[in-house]
Amino acid sequence: MSDSGVEVLSLRKSFRSRRRTQEVLQGIDLVVAPGEVVGLIGPNGAGKTTLMSCLLGFLHPDSGTITIGGRANDDLGVRRRTGFVPERMNFDRGATGGILLRYMARLAGLPHAELDARCTAMLERLGLTAAADKRLSQYSRGMLQRIGMCQALIHEPSFVFLDEPTSGLDPNGVLLVRDLITEQKQRGAAVLLNSHQLAEVEKVCDRVVFLHRGVIQRSETLRHDDHIVVAVTLLPGSIDPGEVERIAGVAAQNDVIIVSVETDAAIASLVRELVSAGAGIVDVRRHTADLEGIFRGAT
Amino acid sequence: MSLVVIAETFRRHATSLAYFGYLGLLALLSMGVSLFDRPAAAWPSLITLLALVTGSGAIGPEFSSGTLQLILVKPLTRVAYLLSRVTGIVLVIWLAAVVCAVFEIAGRAFWGHSAPITAIGSGLLNVMADTVLAVSLLALLGSITRAYFNIAIYLFVLIGLSVTEVVLGFIRQSGNALGQFLAQHTGIDRVVIAIESNLFPDAPTSLEPRWMVMVLSNAAVALLLACLAFRRREVPYGAD
Repeated sequence: MSDSGVEVLSLRKSFRSRRRTQEVLQGIDLVVAPGEVVGLIGPNGAGKTTLMSCLLGFLHPDSGTITIGGRANDDLGVRRRTGFVPERMNFDRGATGGILLRYMARLAGLPHAELDARCTAMLERLGLTAAADKRLSQYSRGMLQRIGMCQALIHEPSFVFLDEPTSGLDPNGVLLVRDLITEQKQRGAAVLLNSHQLAEVEKVCDRVVFLHRGVIQRSETLRHDDHIVVAVTLLPGSIDPGEVERIAGVAAQNDVIIVSVETDAAIASLVRELVSAGAGIVDVRRHTADLEGIFRGAT
Repeated sequence: MSLVVIAETFRRHATSLAYFGYLGLLALLSMGVSLFDRPAAAWPSLITLLALVTGSGAIGPEFSSGTLQLILVKPLTRVAYLLSRVTGIVLVIWLAAVVCAVFEIAGRAFWGHSAPITAIGSGLLNVMADTVLAVSLLALLGSITRAYFNIAIYLFVLIGLSVTEVVLGFIRQSGNALGQFLAQHTGIDRVVIAIESNLFPDAPTSLEPRWMVMVLSNAAVALLLACLAFRRREVPYGAD
């Protein structure tokens, strides 16, 4: 199978009722490359869930094409390599977490010989070992989210679709999900993350697409493969502006230097030079797009 | 079909307390009816009731609960999933039917009565075929509705056809213009009776191959239509 990721071209989807036709997706073009994490953000009613539903084959688009790994999205080979975490985990609440996980793993085509080891490892990774024999009806919202992640990732899918994976999770759970998403990226999986948690999107996504009224209004790259954009906040008046420009190559604006470097070592070197020149450093962080600003500006 | 889905469906039903309780009740009842002369007397109706209760959950409720979305992203066709669900449910019902037949035979042996194996076996096979049709019809209705609307429609049609037959009879006997029209056009009655006997056939007292073929053919048609509907059906989830 081709190693291309998720490709959407001119996707349109409308819902018809007796009174009116509502075009929810109005020509979506989207690519999620292997090893890339793309965040899907937008206000309620923007069409995010509809887009996710079309990608996963729950809804049939009116027009346009969806290819995953170079094949149609309903191809069984594609589904074998697909993982999906729904916003709310709904399953037979009488089943235990362990039973659900085994069932999902077997449906995903995991070889019988690997089943026990993978289930045990996944439950341990998500902190659910002690709860494996508990019924899902006894699970908290956060535990259901975790078991949802388990069932989606147990077969190491190449295409991962996550719908609000951190909702209902405590801070430890949020950190865990963040780590898991990063692991999927490092494995080379194409990850599409639908989330309202802008801070989370900013932390894990390479790129973010802003969906509004059925169209992609904006696409922002948050992380680049070949360089890192850093924001260095200076103590006001601690260093001459000309000296800043000489060292960093750019002028500070409102005591913040935004500079592009190639490696983490270059960040350390820049900070060292600034400190040597007498600058007081208040904050150093990776600079990404202002998602809140984009969200506010566009809605 | 998927053995994984069949096994899970079977497990989910067969390990429920309600099923165990009902099975116990059926076993006791089957022991009890073995005191009477007529073999396979009461339990087939209760097995049909079990088929209605378990069959109603075949697919319809999964649309509403959101369970289906987890399954549809797996490497399994919708048709295979539907047929596997139906098979799992039918096997659970058949298990209960077999338990009833075994307990009736055991009861007759216990009470010192003769055990008409052929008659009990015929009753068992008839109810087995009947439940396949009931579950298939519920799967068909479930594939075009949500939640438990399938059982509501099933019962509505079942009761509606009986009521229609009675009403047509009354009108015919009234002798008015409509009654005369119905008396002249007996095809209307025949259509209603044909629909009823095809969808909700009364099981014969003995093994009748023609009846069996009719029931299983109708079940196959219902399943075919269910598969066609389910294959194209949209399964929305959540809300933006």
